[in-house]
Amino acid sequence: MTLSTKSFEIFCGTGGVGKTTLATSRAINLAQQNLNVLLITIDPAKRLKDLLGLSADSLGEVVPVEVNGTKLNALLMSPEKTIKRMARKFNTPDLENNRIVQILSKPYGGMNEILSMVEVQMQFDTGNYDVVVLDTPPGAHFLDFLESLNKIRNFFDQNFVEIFTYLGQKTAKAGKKVFGAGLINRVISGGVRKLLSYLQAVTGAQFIDDFIQAVQVIYQSREAFLKGLALQDKLKSREQCNWFLVTSVEQGKAQEAVEIRSHAAHFIHQDHFLVLNKCLEFDLVTWHPTDLHLIQIKDSLEKREQDLKKQLKGLFPFVLEFPEIISLSPSDHLLHLTEKWKSYVI
Amino acid sequence: MNQQPRRLYIFTGKGGVGKTTLSKAFTRYLLEHDHEVVYLTFQNQSLGETHQGSTDKFINGIREISLDLEDSARNYIEKKLNSKLVAGWIVKTPFFRALINMVPGFNYLIYLGKILDMQNSNPRLTVVLDAPASGHALTMVESTTNFKQIFESGIIFEDTGKMLSRLNDPAYTKIHVVTLPGLMAWQEAVELKAGLTERTPVSIEITVNNCLYPLLENDLDKLPEGLKQKTINEKQLVEENRSQMLCVLPHSLKQDGLSIETDLVGSLSKLI
Repeated sequence: MTLSTKSFEIFCGTGGVGKTTLATSRAINLAQQNLNVLLITIDPAKRLKDLLGLSADSLGEVVPVEVNGTKLNALLMSPEKTIKRMARKFNTPDLENNRIVQILSKPYGGMNEILSMVEVQMQFDTGNYDVVVLDTPPGAHFLDFLESLNKIRNFFDQNFVEIFTYLGQKTAKAGKKVFGAGLINRVISGGVRKLLSYLQAVTGAQFIDDFIQAVQVIYQSREAFLKGLALQDKLKSREQCNWFLVTSVEQGKAQEAVEIRSHAAHFIHQDHFLVLNKCLEFDLVTWHPTDLHLIQIKDSLEKREQDLKKQLKGLFPFVLEFPEIISLSPSDHLLHLTEKWKSYVI
Repeated sequence: MNQQPRRLYIFTGKGGVGKTTLSKAFTRYLLEHDHEVVYLTFQNQSLGETHQGSTDKFINGIREISLDLEDSARNYIEKKLNSKLVAGWIVKTPFFRALINMVPGFNYLIYLGKILDMQNSNPRLTVVLDAPASGHALTMVESTTNFKQIFESGIIFEDTGKMLSRLNDPAYTKIHVVTLPGLMAWQEAVELKAGLTERTPVSIEITVNNCLYPLLENDLDKLPEGLKQKTINEKQLVEENRSQMLCVLPHSLKQDGLSIETDLVGSLSKLI
């Protein structure tokens, strides 16, 4: 099995399995092949941030970093910064000034996934990088991440836009901004009027107005969001993207990796790699205990790991095994993992 | 005498740290102490094309509820507007779907609303929530605050206020951050706790799960190099940070979820 170089490499997994460290080590491995690499990460632990030289100041900005003598670029996602960049690039200042958009683009406001897709596309468009390595949010939420592309599509779905056009007209009457005057008269559904009156009872009238305005400013920036959609095709293409599904022996759950793959079935092509991290086997094979209780412990640890590997190898075309690294230094972890990547690349 | 539990226990932390096993074991613990308790998870994060619907059933003796977003949203609106028909229609409209799906914290608002609803109709019910992985726990806790700012009037505004006061009531809610005895995992747990502490005044405790060192520390010289170092590191990490750890749980040699769960039940009295 060989790992060839693609424009995009996506790391997903259940979190707590060393996904960010693995993605970082792969980015270093790629950079060592003389490629210009950008590593985008969502939520690394502090020590890794320190190691990458990502301080609070550099949040949301691309920074050149040097790890163990290898140079690459890193970006720690900040939804707020991405929104600002979009507003600048597409000249839609309302986007960063809208109250609801502001609240939603707080670090945990919930727009992380959508905005990271937009960010990946914007960064790739700069033409500065050969490879963008993306470390996705943990867990089942990676599914949100994939879904975010569909959310963008649905959001700009024609029918949907027409409804907002109607809503836009409504706010226009109150002297507010409006878009697409040509569309306004096309669809006026009595149903929309009714829906609004019901929703107002639940959410209050002010919110409906605010939300409509938020939708309008997002709509104005649709070019940026829709570019995120173009990314979808690239991620689906075997020539352009490698997928890594990361799990660990500790975690011992083949099921979750399989679930992620099946949810992502419409994205993932043949080149997806199951990465099994923190394997104890490398160490356990050298251990020959004689005490009964230690034999039990060894058997238990070994059995758990072997069962998992057997299961995974039946389920995934490629399984990459990485050892558990005992060192306390994250820089050591990266060094060892980067070495291990080399054995998978020809 | 049994200590009265809180009404809502939120278990959070990265995936794969044993959150599910631990929160089920804790549900079992409360049950064994004669409390009325339910283990609860959120089934989905957005309104998708396919959904299974909420489920509520007894599995291995504990009541497990899995909430479906669309069902919960329909329920909520039905209650507020007193019409099943209108509620069914609203959740199917593109506007509403966009509202929920584009505004991700909204799902938590609906789920939390559903939980509080269940508890209002059963004042003795304790809910053990197996919450989504870490970043999202912050989204969840933050969603009530965000939405209180977003909605300035209306039924949701009042309900959000109620949710916020419950989530912020130390007598009502307690949050358990679950982690593993590795340095990175530990630091992430400490960061998550700090993030949560900024957002809510309720008690937030860290439990370290799956520690190998208690099983191996007396046999250091009989271990292979890697495992030996791992044992030493784990022990050192726990000793250095013991004051910040509520509970340190040993690795279970059992091979299946239910047996591991049963193994843990006896060690969970501190979590109450």
